Amino acid sequence: MTEISVGLMLADHWISIIGIIIGGICIAVGVHFVPVGGAPAAMAQATGIGTGTVQLAAGSGLTGLLAAGYMYMVLSADGAYVGTSQIALICATGAVGAMIMISVTMLVGNWVYIYGVGVPPASAKRDYDPITGDSQAPYVAAGTVGQGLPTVCFVSGTIGGLLGGLGGSLVYCMLMWVNGDPAISSIFAIGVFLVNAVLPSYNIQGTIEGFHDPKFKRVPKAILACFIASLLCGIIAVTIPGIAALGGV
Amino acid sequence: MSAGGPGGEAVSAETANQVDIKGIGVGLVGIYIAGISGIPYLAFLAGIGAIFATKMGADAVRRVCSYGIGTGVPSIGMLALGMGIISAMFGLALGKMYNAVFIGPIVGLVLALVIGFVVGTLANKIIKLNIPVMERCLMEIAGAGVLALTGLSVMIAGSMDFVVISEKVITTGYIAPVFILGALGILHPFNASLGPDETQDRTLVHAYSCGAIAMVIGGLCSIAVIDSIAGMISIVVGLVIWYVTFMGFVKLVKRDAGAGYVGTGLLPPGAM
Repeated sequence: MTEISVGLMLADHWISIIGIIIGGICIAVGVHFVPVGGAPAAMAQATGIGTGTVQLAAGSGLTGLLAAGYMYMVLSADGAYVGTSQIALICATGAVGAMIMISVTMLVGNWVYIYGVGVPPASAKRDYDPITGDSQAPYVAAGTVGQGLPTVCFVSGTIGGLLGGLGGSLVYCMLMWVNGDPAISSIFAIGVFLVNAVLPSYNIQGTIEGFHDPKFKRVPKAILACFIASLLCGIIAVTIPGIAALGGV
Repeated sequence: MSAGGPGGEAVSAETANQVDIKGIGVGLVGIYIAGISGIPYLAFLAGIGAIFATKMGADAVRRVCSYGIGTGVPSIGMLALGMGIISAMFGLALGKMYNAVFIGPIVGLVLALVIGFVVGTLANKIIKLNIPVMERCLMEIAGAGVLALTGLSVMIAGSMDFVVISEKVITTGYIAPVFILGALGILHPFNASLGPDETQDRTLVHAYSCGAIAMVIGGLCSIAVIDSIAGMISIVVGLVIWYVTFMGFVKLVKRDAGAGYVGTGLLPPGAM
């Protein structure tokens, strides 16, 4: 490439911008599915995992990104072309990686709540678990808003991991198309991921139980906000060429 | 304020404008001297710039989080570096594309201010957080993120050239400690000091010491990529700044604890 300019990069890579927007929206919706309990959950006084949204989103997103990055490396070995079907495989790998991470976190967290703290997992937002139909209210300790991770939260969290990993891997693939540099692509994917994880976490005000939580109805606001934020990030990210185009090695 | 109670405007001795002018001014001057001079022994100046930028970010976090954002303070620090890394790399890459590397940090800073303003507006208008200082604080936080990242990267690589930074900082993976230490310097001071007796000077002196730790680690990384003497200069300067500011922090902690502070010493032998 002899001549590179911002306008040319934008014209060449408009499809990547769309991919980054879709990825960003997947991440934003995924955050709403993950049962985040925050500090109260860490003291077993609220349902969910006892840490903040960003830590969970970043944890699962980065695991997904690692899985996706490895798959990308395998599929593009010997300079093989990475097309749409390969990207589907890469995104699936990233989604599974993120799902494994978030599931393990929830499973081990539940062991700690059940055997360590000694509380039964129960949700205070519903009287009956929407999936198993188990009664919840009698098991919610007095003065708390639930504790542990009941089945519905676990299922919801796994869906959240799927969407988060999918979105993160999609952003990574789109950036690899643009610059072909795994290091720059992954650090940019982390940047886009964090912006799209923090904005929804303001939307849910730090805690949510999953798709059965009334706060889940706020998801359209987060989609709109993240659409605009991802558009902005995408436009900037696709105008950065890889160092190969800039005369590096 | 992870529980997210309603707060109010933070009391400040040093105004936001003063902190911003120092942060942006010292930050850019440090980065430019280190990046343009080409002398590796001056690379530590970019680290000092990053320390002042970190302090600017920590002050903005302090002002916005005293309203209670409901998600915990760390989220806003990660947001800062998320916005910061995109803008910083774009600025440096743009400078390289148009063969004018010196515009890099300024383009990155301006872009970060724009992204910060847009994200702040989204948070206030669409997500309806309704925090009056949100737009301005997110602009400052994103700007601080860019300057901290650019400063530490320039310190490690000893250059403002995007190709050099890409090869020496990003591909080697040193961007990971730079990223997380930059974020920690911005989010940790207020996260550690928050509460009804929080004071601005104590939080900000803590920000200096966090920035100095980032500078020491950055110096360690630069031993491997530029020059061992330049790296040692950064480490020693960082350690001195850390020692002075951390002792200052301890002194302010004792001051704010007032008469309630009693030295307990170690645990008695029977209790260990």
